[in-house]
Amino acid sequence: MIWRRHLSTGQGYKKISIVGSGPAGFFTAYHLLNKSKIPIHVTVWEKLPTPFGLSRYGVAPDHPEVKNCEETFTECARKFISDKHHKFEFIGGVEIGNQIKLKDLLKSQDAVVLSYGCTGDKKLHIPGETDTSGVFSSRNFVNWYNGHPDIAQDPKLLDFEWSKVKNIGIIGNGNVAMDIARILLSNRIDAIWKHTDISSVALECLRNAPIENVKIIGRRDFVHSKFTNKELRELWQLERYGIFGKIDKEYFHDGMFDLSQFDRAFKRRVEMCSEYLKPFTQRKKNFKKFPIPSPSDVYDKRTWELDYLLSPIKINKCPQTSRLESLTLSHNKLALPENKVIKDEEKADVEYPMDLLITSLGYAGIPLEEFNALGIGFERGHVANKQGRVLTTTNDLYPKLYASGWIRKGSQGVIASTMEDAFEVGDRVIQDLFVQPSTTESFDINLGKIRHTTWADWERINRQELKNGKEEGKKRTKFLSIEDIMNSIKS
Amino acid sequence: HGHLKKPVPGEELKVTFVLKDGEQKTYEVSEGETLLDIAQGNDLDMEGACGGSCACSTCHVIVDPDYYDAIPEPEDDENDMLDLAYGLTETSRLGCQVKMSKDIDGIRVALPAMTRNVNNNDFK
Ligand SMILES: Cc1cc2nc3c(=O)[nH]c(=O)nc-3n(C[C@H](O)[C@H](O)[C@H](O)COP(=O)(O)OP(=O)(O)OC[C@H]3O[C@@H](n4cnc5c(N)ncnc54)[C@H](O)[C@@H]3O)c2cc1C
Ligand code: FES
Repeated sequence: MIWRRHLSTGQGYKKISIVGSGPAGFFTAYHLLNKSKIPIHVTVWEKLPTPFGLSRYGVAPDHPEVKNCEETFTECARKFISDKHHKFEFIGGVEIGNQIKLKDLLKSQDAVVLSYGCTGDKKLHIPGETDTSGVFSSRNFVNWYNGHPDIAQDPKLLDFEWSKVKNIGIIGNGNVAMDIARILLSNRIDAIWKHTDISSVALECLRNAPIENVKIIGRRDFVHSKFTNKELRELWQLERYGIFGKIDKEYFHDGMFDLSQFDRAFKRRVEMCSEYLKPFTQRKKNFKKFPIPSPSDVYDKRTWELDYLLSPIKINKCPQTSRLESLTLSHNKLALPENKVIKDEEKADVEYPMDLLITSLGYAGIPLEEFNALGIGFERGHVANKQGRVLTTTNDLYPKLYASGWIRKGSQGVIASTMEDAFEVGDRVIQDLFVQPSTTESFDINLGKIRHTTWADWERINRQELKNGKEEGKKRTKFLSIEDIMNSIKS
Repeated sequence: HGHLKKPVPGEELKVTFVLKDGEQKTYEVSEGETLLDIAQGNDLDMEGACGGSCACSTCHVIVDPDYYDAIPEPEDDENDMLDLAYGLTETSRLGCQVKMSKDIDGIRVALPAMTRNVNNNDFK
């Protein structure tokens, strides 16, 4: 759409711009629109032509129920686009800092909330990490199978020889690592994937892989595992397809922990692992809900393994093809009292042969380029802030600027905690707006010839994706490139 | 948000919500409604971000111990989400998983007083 339009000042509305339309951005908008007593005009800016951030491009395709927050966002957008009291706008395909400057937003708005998530990768910083074929960051891999237009058709992934992938290593044991393990292990189980919105080109690649083993490798021990019980249970339950898990006795065995010292979640985790590691017939009722197939029904042998106290130190590749061959790791131990990770010098390094390595260390927050010039503080992967109010590089409050979600706290927390965060920050914005005089500067944001999408455009894209999905017997078929997305608006 | 059925006269079930500020609200509802439906249908402060599909824990309620045992036991997936709820108690449940029935007529539940309902648990 090429439209000429202005975000004009005045007209009795306080103007709030939100940068990013993921759960943080949308829940902030939702809260502001539902709670503000004074009339506000909320504009949500999104780099991509499509909204919803990691709900659309992060959450696993077999977790559709997690994406239900999108319904709340849609209801909110529809309601407030034509509301008597407030105004709402979505502007997609516009990156703040690129086509529109943050500096100009700050000039024209009464408040700006940064909710642009974590857009980079945390790195291992070891040899071979960036120049080996078969090593991918979790963010790239997840974006790929979720059809993110930046990477959905990247030859590095599409042309990779998936047919040779038997042994896989995943570094990190958070829930993203668990999502990735589950998807890889069940790559040939059509019952799980056929009806989801997983990118069909990615699924086709993955299906080619004769996967045998997935190792999920943590620097610390079982106690410090980062996954939640839900994700762990989903892996154990893959046994109903003949996919079995194990944990070395050294890292986990019955009676290893004094459970009185732990919280409920950990107790349940220990029980879960103890039960699933037992033979099927000896387990409690809850842990044999799904019958496991007899060995003759399982045509390929697959396992996954939780591995602990290891740090990758070197990626080894074939000198001719640059293809991944193995990973060298050193052993760790935990030093009391703070459980600091240190190298265990007594144990020799190990080398795991592998054909695919996913580094799942977390998404990294990246400062916008303008932060430096504007004097906006940034620390350890997130915007410097006090309770959501952004700080300058010298730790003073930065006027009118806020942050919510992953860019406020770093890449941690589920959608529910992101929501709570967005609500808290929304409350602060409302408090401040009440006392602060309106922006008097008559500075208008001019979208001029900048190509962008509106909420109505997104509704069109959405309808088209749902329709295409229906024709293919799926929930949705995502467009895999910006061009395809934009063309669907015209048709 | 939730649409509540009007209870059939004579078959009303009672439920009381204790709000964050201590105020109590009692409603007459039909069998089968979930605590989430009832809260949302009456504009109480319960988000239900996953639309009641046991995937978010934003519908955490604390059940009066006198009624707790009369509710059918939580499934694993409800327990897995409760693990993440902030201020978890022995009688915590997810509002979207508790359905009104004659067995729990008169039930009292409190909305957790904390503003933060969810642990900032890892989703790295
Ligand atoms: C792989 C994965 C799986 C997950 N699975 C679950 C799950 O099952 N359940 C659960 O509860 N949580 C899950 N989460 C966590 C959940 O996705 C996050 O809590 C939530 O998405 C964080 O929201 P956010 O809005 O801060 O960031 P994001 O969702 O990342 O949103 C940021 C948005 O800002 C946009 N943006 C970036 N830069 C700019 C810019 N300069 N200008 C304009 N827009 C910009 C981005 O395109 C994006 O749309 C998962 C996370 C990941 C990574
Ligand atoms: S509404 Fe999400 S768990 Fe109950």
